[in-house]
Amino acid sequence: MEKKSVWKKITSSRETSLVIVLLVLVALISIKNPSFLGMQNILEILKNNSVIMIMALGMLCVLLIGGIDISITSSLAFAGMTVGMLFKNGVIHSTLLGFVIAMAIGAVCGLVTGLIIAKGNVTPIIATMGFMYIYRGFAYLVANSQWAGADALGDFKNFALESYLGLGFLNNVLFIVLICYIVFFVILKWTKFGRNIYAVGSNAEAAQISGINVARVKLSVYTMMGFLAGLCGALAVTIYASAQPNMQQGKEMDVIAACVIGGVSMNGGRGSVGGALLGALILSVIAKALPLVGIDALAQNTVKGFIIIVVIVLNVVTQRMMDKSNLERREM
Amino acid sequence: MAGKSGRTIEATPQDVWKKRIFSWEGMLVVLFLFINIFCRCISPNYTVANVLREMPKYLSEIFLLLPMAYILMLGEIDISVGSTVCLAATVACMATNANVPFVGVILITILTGAVCGMVNGFILLKFPELPSMIVTLGTQIVFRGIAEIMLGSGGSVSVTNTAGFRALSGEIGPFPYVFFLVLICGAIFVVLSVKTTFGRSLYAIGSNSRTSFYSGIKVGKIRFLVFTLMGTFAGIAALFLTSELYGANTTTGNGFEMDAIAMAVFGGISTAGGKGKMIGGLISAFIIVCLRIGLGQINMNPQVVLIILGALLICAVLIPNISAGLGLKKRKKI
Amino acid sequence: MSQYVLELKGITKIFPGVKALNRVQFQLKPGEVHALMGENGAGKSTFIKVITGVHKAEEGEMFLNGTKVDFKGPRDAQAAGIAAVYQHPTSYPDLTVTENIFMNHEIKKNGLIRWKEMNHEAKKLLDQLDADFKPTAEMGSLSVAQQQMVEIAKALSTQAKIVILDEPTAALTANESEKLYRIVDKLRDDGVSIIFISHRFEDMYRLATRVTVFRDSQYIGTYKVDEITNAELIKQMVGREITDLFPKPDVTVGAEVLKIENFSRTGYYKNVSLHVRAGEIVGLTGLVGAGRTEVVESVCGITKADSGKVYLNGSEIRIKNPTDAKNLGIVLLPEDRQKAGLILEWGLGRNVTLPILRKFVKNGMINENEERSLSKRLLEEVDTKAVTIFDPASSLSGGNQQKVVVAKALAQDNMKVVIMDEPTKGVDVGAKAEIYAIMGELAKQGFAIIMISSEMPEILGMSDRIYVMCNGSVTGELKRDEATQEKILEYAMEKNAKEKRTVNKEGVN
Repeated sequence: MEKKSVWKKITSSRETSLVIVLLVLVALISIKNPSFLGMQNILEILKNNSVIMIMALGMLCVLLIGGIDISITSSLAFAGMTVGMLFKNGVIHSTLLGFVIAMAIGAVCGLVTGLIIAKGNVTPIIATMGFMYIYRGFAYLVANSQWAGADALGDFKNFALESYLGLGFLNNVLFIVLICYIVFFVILKWTKFGRNIYAVGSNAEAAQISGINVARVKLSVYTMMGFLAGLCGALAVTIYASAQPNMQQGKEMDVIAACVIGGVSMNGGRGSVGGALLGALILSVIAKALPLVGIDALAQNTVKGFIIIVVIVLNVVTQRMMDKSNLERREM
Repeated sequence: MAGKSGRTIEATPQDVWKKRIFSWEGMLVVLFLFINIFCRCISPNYTVANVLREMPKYLSEIFLLLPMAYILMLGEIDISVGSTVCLAATVACMATNANVPFVGVILITILTGAVCGMVNGFILLKFPELPSMIVTLGTQIVFRGIAEIMLGSGGSVSVTNTAGFRALSGEIGPFPYVFFLVLICGAIFVVLSVKTTFGRSLYAIGSNSRTSFYSGIKVGKIRFLVFTLMGTFAGIAALFLTSELYGANTTTGNGFEMDAIAMAVFGGISTAGGKGKMIGGLISAFIIVCLRIGLGQINMNPQVVLIILGALLICAVLIPNISAGLGLKKRKKI
Repeated sequence: MSQYVLELKGITKIFPGVKALNRVQFQLKPGEVHALMGENGAGKSTFIKVITGVHKAEEGEMFLNGTKVDFKGPRDAQAAGIAAVYQHPTSYPDLTVTENIFMNHEIKKNGLIRWKEMNHEAKKLLDQLDADFKPTAEMGSLSVAQQQMVEIAKALSTQAKIVILDEPTAALTANESEKLYRIVDKLRDDGVSIIFISHRFEDMYRLATRVTVFRDSQYIGTYKVDEITNAELIKQMVGREITDLFPKPDVTVGAEVLKIENFSRTGYYKNVSLHVRAGEIVGLTGLVGAGRTEVVESVCGITKADSGKVYLNGSEIRIKNPTDAKNLGIVLLPEDRQKAGLILEWGLGRNVTLPILRKFVKNGMINENEERSLSKRLLEEVDTKAVTIFDPASSLSGGNQQKVVVAKALAQDNMKVVIMDEPTKGVDVGAKAEIYAIMGELAKQGFAIIMISSEMPEILGMSDRIYVMCNGSVTGELKRDEATQEKILEYAMEKNAKEKRTVNKEGVN
């Protein structure tokens, strides 16, 4: 009996089905193109998608409280561009300082967004749409019609190539991704703050009554999102060895899509770190795999969008089937 | 009926002018005048003739605002319209280059938009559990993706025979055609929203879709219709956009959905559904267009213009919230 | 030391525009169950929220065991040993039972949550309440009664000395209520003081020793339960005497109007057959969850039946959606009038004309003058307490909102069948009588009426004929003169012994 229920739990869990989807995808692709499974290739995929993977964590929290943030790539660009220009103009030389500045800018951006949403009661989609324009504008103003190329970035660009943080085994960028995932997993599973995030998204009114400061939770979540966007700003600059004001434009939709594929509900209260990770991985594997299996790179977006739609529709269909079988089991 | 107390209930609406002037729409009219005076002050070129000449560049987005306002009234959102415009514009250019007669081009373009809208509407009709935000997020990527496939590795297309599009951007006296078309469509959309059962249904569904369904309003059908309308107007917008740009590329229409939503919200139409007036959306659209023209004339950095628009959008929602909050506190003290 | 565990004096709470509480007082003795009664809007819920620190009173003092306290928020009240179980379960549907119980007072070590210990503790609390579900179950998959139990477990987990129950039996079946009574008894025996809010007199008689009555935001009095009569209590609550609560008129019943044959929908109801004649009021009763609402919703096209036939005036009809039902003259007054019957932020007039807008269309546009005069006439006909037809529906009391829904039904002049689902739920005693009067009037005018209700007095008082449902089937049919409370209960519980806990997924997503 106990064994059966454990089995049932595994098969009915969203994460497991995503793992299966991911494995099937990887298997299919590697049959067609064995080089896909090479260590080098996998690390490359992970590194190129690290920005999406990290921001998916912040977006997970934002979606969990029933919000949304489409300003993230703008604050990313603002933070990244600022750091880029600081290096270019020789104001700073330290990689660490570059990261700190980027994270600080991102956190402030997130804090302001959070204040408008939590204290000003502006709906998240509108507030972040406004800030999407504003922060992107800031990025352009900072850039002042220039951009920071590889030669201007000095040591900073080497950060993504080296692996001193990962003790020589793991690339620096991937090490940061790993740390972020561990931290968020712990926060969301084992801390009061993490559980309060779920509570606010599940029933904000009840949360208020049980003494949770809903506004503060919201504010913290958006600040956290901004902080991660800032971090990703710095990461994007070092990974691509360039800072441009239009960097990562439109990628906020990829981040949201990763979460949605990972089973995070847009109504709040439902979703997990594992889901966000798997969603991001599935998206990035697909993007990388299409050319390998002979689909024109031009069709990439079409396939991606199509998969998003199929996944969400499948979600609804399975839910309906589950409801139906539940009803049929009812004794009358 | 039994237990009648003979109580009468007032049924004549009180038409208070003060209330009208102090409404959001009243404030927008004042702001519209103010913006025009402001622009005239900062730019000597801000004359009626010049404004009308520059206007078509911005007007195509108003075609998107009109049905977007309806979608927001329904409590839905459509973030795929920018991509629909891109796809429709691509189709328009390619059809022209394939020597399709211009009337055919017009039809095909509008039809492309309509089909995109129908796809959204159909998914939402069959799977009402899904939020429109996610569905249109998916189709946003797909529609632009299809345009990308059509555009090929070059990523852009130019119209070789511009005659038809040039005719489309023609003028009557100082007024461009598209200006009249926007006004006519605007008027129709306003009347539809306040005077017809369709308009009333929009507000009803946006306020409480369950009550509307129980009351026999065809909720699914109206939602499908409005999304199709959205796509159709995206097709129209694509036509006029092409008649300005004589070409299309993979970034055509980027961010249009946000602009349209911003115009509507600034006009007092809430994303929560059931609130706001079409006329407010229209006035706010013209405020934004005039502001853009004025600031463009003094060569203001376009990014600064975007910052200003973003700030305006947030303030438009924030200020009423704050003043409502203050009013509440004040009353509490009594 | 004071003789009261909790004492409130001169509490005044003002919301913008309304005085929700006007210098009310209250005393709670240690280990007593104290009922708090009053009509809707009397200020009971606000009062509770003042005690639990959710609202802050503008005036007045509160004493806990004789010491003055001043709660800044719900947390302070929790720390002081006060816990509340609210009317609408304030749960988190997406989270587990354990989490719901320990929300905001989690068991932690080094800042990290101890899930194992929490699950263990939750299990202990649930066992104490004889709960039949696991602490790891998802809250949203539980029945209302089970969720209520979680709420009580939550109150216990805070080691509360004072527990407030706000209408806990409102959504419970008779069986479940009995179980709740036993839990309350047990709590009292353990020395917990309990404040109990309820509309049901049974609850008060079964549990409370004293009762305090509020009316119109004011304190009316405190009485010993065994020293006050039912009629006297109603008078205190309503402020006047109600002579005839059930004004059932004598109507000659006409021909059969609506007939349902072998109606089935998987998981909801099975082989339901019933009929109603012109001028007849048919009561449809049974425990909550017996499938009553589901049957009528399928009749009205809101959901689809899998099989079965519906006849209107003798000919078979097919209803695919609510529009079809509307066109055929079958009108449903839904149970949840705030979410399915009205558009709360709209004016009354527009609410009334929502289903019949097409009637006012001239040249494609709505003639608003005609619209207004019709809604004015109908709203006056049902005697709505409102100033203008532009008042938002949200500004009315439950009873008056129900009248607006009735006016909305009357607007449909092809109406033949009226189906009222729990017409007096959340309606206070005074307005109830008026709703019954309207119902009687409708019967007199020859409409066929189906009334779904869980309230026994109303079923017995108003129905010509009664169908009883149990677990998805009609288990009995009783004529007015043969119906008694016992017989109805017997039918309603017929299969109860076999009843299994099955998860009702409806409404979860």
